[in-house]
Amino acid sequence: MRSLLRSLVLVLTLVLPGLAHAVTVDELLGMLDKNLTYDTRESTMVMTVTKGDRVKTYKMHSYGRGSTEGVVEYMEGRDKGTKMYRKDQELWMYLPSVERVQKISGHMLRQGMMGSDMSYEDMMEASSWKARYSGVVEGEESFNGVKVWRVKLTAKSADVSYPTRVVLVDQVTYIPLRQELYATSGMLLKTWEMSDVRVIEGKNVAMKMVVEDKLQAGSRTELKFEAMDFSVAVPEEIFSVRWLERN
Amino acid sequence: MMFSIAIRNMLRQRRRSLLTATAIMFGTGLLTIGIAWQQGVLQGMLGKAAAMAGHVRIVTADFAKKEQLFPIAENIADTGPVVKAVAELPGVRGVYPRLQLPATMTVGEDIGEVFGLVTGAPLEFYTEVLDLDRNIAQGRMMADDKEAVIGLTLAEELGAKLGDEVIALGQTQDGSISPIKVTIVGLYDMGGGNVNKMAYVTLEKARWMADIPDGATEVVVFCADRDDAEAVAAAAGALPATAGLEVKAWSQREPWAGMLQLQNTIQTIIVLVIVIISSLVVLNTMMMSVLERTAEIGVMRAMGLRRWQTLSLFVTEALVIASVGGLGGAVIGAAGGLYLQKTGINVGSAVDKLPAAFPIATTVYADFELEQLFWSLVLGFVMAVVGSLLPALRASAIQPVEAMRSRR
Repeated sequence: MRSLLRSLVLVLTLVLPGLAHAVTVDELLGMLDKNLTYDTRESTMVMTVTKGDRVKTYKMHSYGRGSTEGVVEYMEGRDKGTKMYRKDQELWMYLPSVERVQKISGHMLRQGMMGSDMSYEDMMEASSWKARYSGVVEGEESFNGVKVWRVKLTAKSADVSYPTRVVLVDQVTYIPLRQELYATSGMLLKTWEMSDVRVIEGKNVAMKMVVEDKLQAGSRTELKFEAMDFSVAVPEEIFSVRWLERN
Repeated sequence: MMFSIAIRNMLRQRRRSLLTATAIMFGTGLLTIGIAWQQGVLQGMLGKAAAMAGHVRIVTADFAKKEQLFPIAENIADTGPVVKAVAELPGVRGVYPRLQLPATMTVGEDIGEVFGLVTGAPLEFYTEVLDLDRNIAQGRMMADDKEAVIGLTLAEELGAKLGDEVIALGQTQDGSISPIKVTIVGLYDMGGGNVNKMAYVTLEKARWMADIPDGATEVVVFCADRDDAEAVAAAAGALPATAGLEVKAWSQREPWAGMLQLQNTIQTIIVLVIVIISSLVVLNTMMMSVLERTAEIGVMRAMGLRRWQTLSLFVTEALVIASVGGLGGAVIGAAGGLYLQKTGINVGSAVDKLPAAFPIATTVYADFELEQLFWSLVLGFVMAVVGSLLPALRASAIQPVEAMRSRR
């Protein structure tokens, strides 16, 4: 009986992780996309950018629709009234000091959004994981006391900002709790962590993100969502370049 | 006596002497023009670079390390105390805070991809140091924060004209996108090339753009005499107001420190090449003279002419020819140098591709000085001595018996 029990424990030890492992990358990426996609969304957030001794805070209000459209308005300080509108892979910015809408393109998309560690491209590629990456589940581990899958993702095409990502996905909430973003050379470019996961209207949402640009010593960006609403009816006109110039 | 014999010998073979004198004439002439031209290129570049970069520059150490990237965040937060303290030093003509901000420039509704450098400095900097007001090709100087003067090359790239509004999209020191809108009231021409690719605005406008209310990325110092820059830099660096900052004279900064070394090397090579070629011509003609006059030398040696006297006879002959050639060379060199100093040479648009650190104008002028003429004449004599030494040594080694046996 004892040897039977021992065999059972051994079998379970070997098989159970395998069962947990059985999740496929496609399923995982599908769940990540599902978490990050919504019909409409309204949120208020505070972004704190730290560059060595210098700390700057931005308060922003944003609206989103699906995974392809979003609007952000800066609410305070020197950048008050600055608005951004993203549609698919295009980005426009309203600059109140010159009363003008400027399309952000080329090299500027790779610059930090308002000097943060998140580039405009990062913001535009925040969703659609399944379409952009394939990969393998490398195993399971614990991250900050949470059981996660360790997934190595490889970009399907060359136009993706980060050719390789190593992602730790929460096994319960399917939130990517930590990402390591690598260049083709294998150099670590950024780390991106999500925390303070809450359930809002049935959806798992990370209310805090911390991004660190590893190419800039002492650089860190913290994005905290103060409010998030998925049931808001966002007026159609908001998602347009013309809206940027209004108000 | 030696001198009169040398003159007589020189006139005996007039054609050959003329050939030797011509070689020395072209040697000294070319040397004068070459050195004046090279000085002109360097001085022109240094003058413009000094006007743009300052005789002495004060920046933060981190700015100096990364200056190729225009690190706006590495700025001097309050330039007031630095400017005040340095301005009181002897030999200082002017001290100015300055910001240079890279930006994407746009005119009209179309989004441009033209890169420009927005420079913000006090108006006195533009008029007293940069002579911007005297180089306005169209329009006038800016009068307030809403106006800008831009270079002709930049205007051409932008498709901009006087009265157009230009938007410069840059960044604040925190990295936020920061645009400014200014009206083009003047187009300057400082000699073409990359010198004409700047957009000059007021200091206040640039400070707003970079979000540095009281500071600047650099403080540029101008001395009464550019050659005093290193002494002024040392004095400025010792001030409490500049503690922790990097204070360097233009000649201590790259690329100029390296450029000065390079200039010396190039000048030495030019001198050596011309001296060697001219000396070879002198050697050739003098050697022919020695061979033709072997018998004559033998007779003179038999009559008591000593070896050193034979040697000095040929060297004196070469020096007499060099004097005539050198004089002609001085006329050619001075005329050529002065002509190139006045009219210059258009080196074309190739200079447009040079980096901003090398502000060469499209037309480059020579910088002729009497000192260059003097040294060219000295080198003319060196050519004569070097070229005549071997034939003279050969002549002095001739034995009278052997010489007379040769029947020459």
